[in-house]
Amino acid sequence: MKTLHLNLAASPYRDYRPLYAVVVVVSVVIAFLMLNNVDTYYRYVRETSSTRARIAQIEAQIAAEGKRAEAAAAQTRTIDVTTLGKQTRFINIQLAERAFSWSELLDRLEDVLPRDVRIMSIAPSFDESGLVHLNMMCEAKNSNSMIVTVDRFNRSAYFTNAFPANEENTGTGFRFNLGVDYRPSIPRVVSK
Amino acid sequence: MIWREKRTLLIVLGAILLANAIFFFTYRVQYENRLRALDTRLDQVTADLEQARGARLAAERQVAEYRKIQQDVDDIIQNRWSTQSERLTALIGEVKKMTEASRLTPPTFSFTRTEARKASATDKTPGAVQVGVAFTVRGSYQQIRQLINRIELSNQFVIISQMGLSSDSGEQLSMTIQLKTLFRDTSAVRQPANQDL
Repeated sequence: MKTLHLNLAASPYRDYRPLYAVVVVVSVVIAFLMLNNVDTYYRYVRETSSTRARIAQIEAQIAAEGKRAEAAAAQTRTIDVTTLGKQTRFINIQLAERAFSWSELLDRLEDVLPRDVRIMSIAPSFDESGLVHLNMMCEAKNSNSMIVTVDRFNRSAYFTNAFPANEENTGTGFRFNLGVDYRPSIPRVVSK
Repeated sequence: MIWREKRTLLIVLGAILLANAIFFFTYRVQYENRLRALDTRLDQVTADLEQARGARLAAERQVAEYRKIQQDVDDIIQNRWSTQSERLTALIGEVKKMTEASRLTPPTFSFTRTEARKASATDKTPGAVQVGVAFTVRGSYQQIRQLINRIELSNQFVIISQMGLSSDSGEQLSMTIQLKTLFRDTSAVRQPANQDL
């Protein structure tokens, strides 16, 4: 005998409960996360507004400083530094010569030179280091005077590198050329 | 079957969930780190500002220094050295006055004129003319020292370039002194009057 299956449902039966459960749970999680995220966002915006404003302000200042530095650099580029340097060096040499104190030099020479030695001529030239090279022609009474003069220059704190160029017996005395470096009390350093 | 039927809804929900989860783990969990990063950024830009300010000050200082040097150079060339026509006679008069004040009278004066620095048309710098004044005086050592001192203290831009001493009889000395001064060279900038004719 064959069993009779009767299906009297108006539409096919489906169990949607697991689907609804998943949708509800996911929606609750989404709602929780969304509320939390919105709160986080507004809290972040509120708490950092002053810091971000300060950063924006500083960045604007950096941009302004950069523009001013560039303007200054552009001004520097308009200056002919090489020519200015040459002019300055030339003028500095003249100013060093003008500032050189002959009175002080003569005072020092009076202390250093032996009594029997006279200066006949003296010409200074200015060194980069601030030393002044002196070319001197001297006249002495005896043959030993040149050696004594060089020794006395070497012992002096104001003179250095004394070196004779020549010595000549004139019959009435001795004449010699001497080069010596002089240290003025206020040295004028000249860059050439 | 039912999952497949409602897959659009499930995909939308999944996407919203994923986006919220990413935001949550990026912002909420890392919140303190983000605040610290912002503070670090603030410190960084503050340091950058100091650096930019330092660079700007250095650049402005350099410009100011160049301008000051240029001003000083111009002042010396234009005013202290001036031109030969403006200052030469005053200089000679001053030298004569100084020798008279030291009770020394040179019998002769000699004058020389040389070009100390060429004017440059390319860099537009004025040249300089060097004028030398040489004379010999006879007197005591004290008188000669007085004259040297007066020349050193003179308001004129005058340099003692060389001196020679020789002794006569007794206390009398003979001194040959070479002075020099500089003038702005105006010949290079002088234009001919009939240039356009």
